[in-house]
Amino acid sequence: MGSIKSLVSRKYESVKAVDDISFDIAAGELVGFIGPNGAGKTTTLKCLSGLLWPTQGSVSVLGYTPFERKTAFLKQIALVMGQKNQLWWDLPAAETFLLNKEIYEIADDEYKKTRNELVDLLEVEHLLKIQVRKLSLGERMKMELIAALIHSPKVLFLDEPTIGLDVVMQKKMRDFIQEYNELKKSTILLTSHYMEDVRQLARRVIIIDHGKILYDGKLDQLVKKFAKHKVLSVVLETYVPPDKLKEVGELVEYNFPRAVIRVPRNASNVAAAQLLQKFPVDDLNIEEPDIEDIIRDVFTLSSKH
Amino acid sequence: MRYVRILLIHFEDAIAERARNLVWFLIALINPLMLLLFWRGAILEKPEAYGQWNIPSIVSYYLLLIIAGAFLQVHIEEKIAYTDIQQGSLSNYLTKPFSYLLWNFFIELPYRVLQGSFGVIVFLIFFVLFGNIVSIASDPLILVLASVVIILGYLLSFFFKMILGISALWTTDFSGLVNLVEVVTLVFGGFIMPIHLYPVILQRISFALPFASMFYFPIIAISGKLVVVELFQVIAVQCIWLVSLGSIYQLAWRRGVRLFTAIGQ
Repeated sequence: MGSIKSLVSRKYESVKAVDDISFDIAAGELVGFIGPNGAGKTTTLKCLSGLLWPTQGSVSVLGYTPFERKTAFLKQIALVMGQKNQLWWDLPAAETFLLNKEIYEIADDEYKKTRNELVDLLEVEHLLKIQVRKLSLGERMKMELIAALIHSPKVLFLDEPTIGLDVVMQKKMRDFIQEYNELKKSTILLTSHYMEDVRQLARRVIIIDHGKILYDGKLDQLVKKFAKHKVLSVVLETYVPPDKLKEVGELVEYNFPRAVIRVPRNASNVAAAQLLQKFPVDDLNIEEPDIEDIIRDVFTLSSKH
Repeated sequence: MRYVRILLIHFEDAIAERARNLVWFLIALINPLMLLLFWRGAILEKPEAYGQWNIPSIVSYYLLLIIAGAFLQVHIEEKIAYTDIQQGSLSNYLTKPFSYLLWNFFIELPYRVLQGSFGVIVFLIFFVLFGNIVSIASDPLILVLASVVIILGYLLSFFFKMILGISALWTTDFSGLVNLVEVVTLVFGGFIMPIHLYPVILQRISFALPFASMFYFPIIAISGKLVVVELFQVIAVQCIWLVSLGSIYQLAWRRGVRLFTAIGQ
């Protein structure tokens, strides 16, 4: 019935993908955008790279208005989307590098230097003459990165660069991004669903949900600001009934002899002392909660408001 | 030189897909060959009913139609609509310092040249086997002007398909529009039969639309059916269409690209 009704009267709904967000990023910074699906992080990246025109407000990247897509601006940026590719499927990746050399009008010497540098960093010399269709996903992603970086962009937008890769390849990609940032002093903006990407790469994170910024700052500060609990990790000498442990705090996990108890942040020392006095404890650690749990809490809090 | 190098790189891609290109060409070959057999039979039965159109001219027409279909009929619209706009690959082009129009021109031209060359091979085979019933223009001036008509026909076809492709920025169901345009092109571009054999009213409609300038006039120009004055008239009409379609494209692109959201990409 809905589709028949829509023939006569169609209803449109406006949704704000990004709403009233402001931030500055300094040259050479590596910033991570974190947020659940539909939070607005990719939309932000698209506005910054000139794909989308914001309906209100202003955006300035390298002194340019991105959506004007001036040649001088486009020559200084690169956008890599983990789920999209620019490589020719039936040709070796080297042909795409050559095409980009012409598109970006890179001089021969400069092209050779940059290409060799990137090929060495990613260790892909042996893959250059192989058809892209015959490469693995990880190998293709490395080639995508070379194609995107061949013009040595000053600003690099990375949207889910490790998506779909196995853990070993994810690590290699992270190492490369980190090395590239240090070597070239490029400004890098990264979105990822993998906390490990953000943990290893981003010194600064911007948490975004429902199109709004929930947090903008250093990753370690995030823990101090949002973590309301600490975690007591206990190894017991003899079995203690779970009900007894629950008197200390919230029993998150109990698999004798290991138990994990969550306690209010300001009461962690008292709780630890209580554990040591009352129970046969073999080992005890007071830990910060996992960063992923903190971020989940932040999102839960935001969805309630 | 930069543009030549970019074109050559795209040629490599088209050549890498030569087998697929040959299959596409062979599929498109069946229809004109069937029509050729039909019209050959019709003219043999009643030669006086078709005016200037005799066996050599109708055979030449359909053989040239095979080349025109392969070389002049641009097929960039589905790549633009489905891959670039609906699947979001347009993001790749928009973030690069190169014209999207020009880039698609370089992507499509090698495919047309490759498939057009298959058409030329078919034409040459017929020419060698049945030389007495295949004819094309031999006057150098006519050939030069016919070449201009062919190039302008290609450009018209390209701009038309670019406009059709970017219309996907406004539409959600693109396939219906593509099928409609295909039917209109077949009828008014001269793919069914020479437009001069249509009833007068259909001829008028055909000549008022751009499709004859894209396909029909290039075919009859190279087959020697137009005199110099007529060729200049055709070129003038093609230029008017080219300016019109070029302007429509620019306007549609400027407005449409703001609608591109690259959702989910």
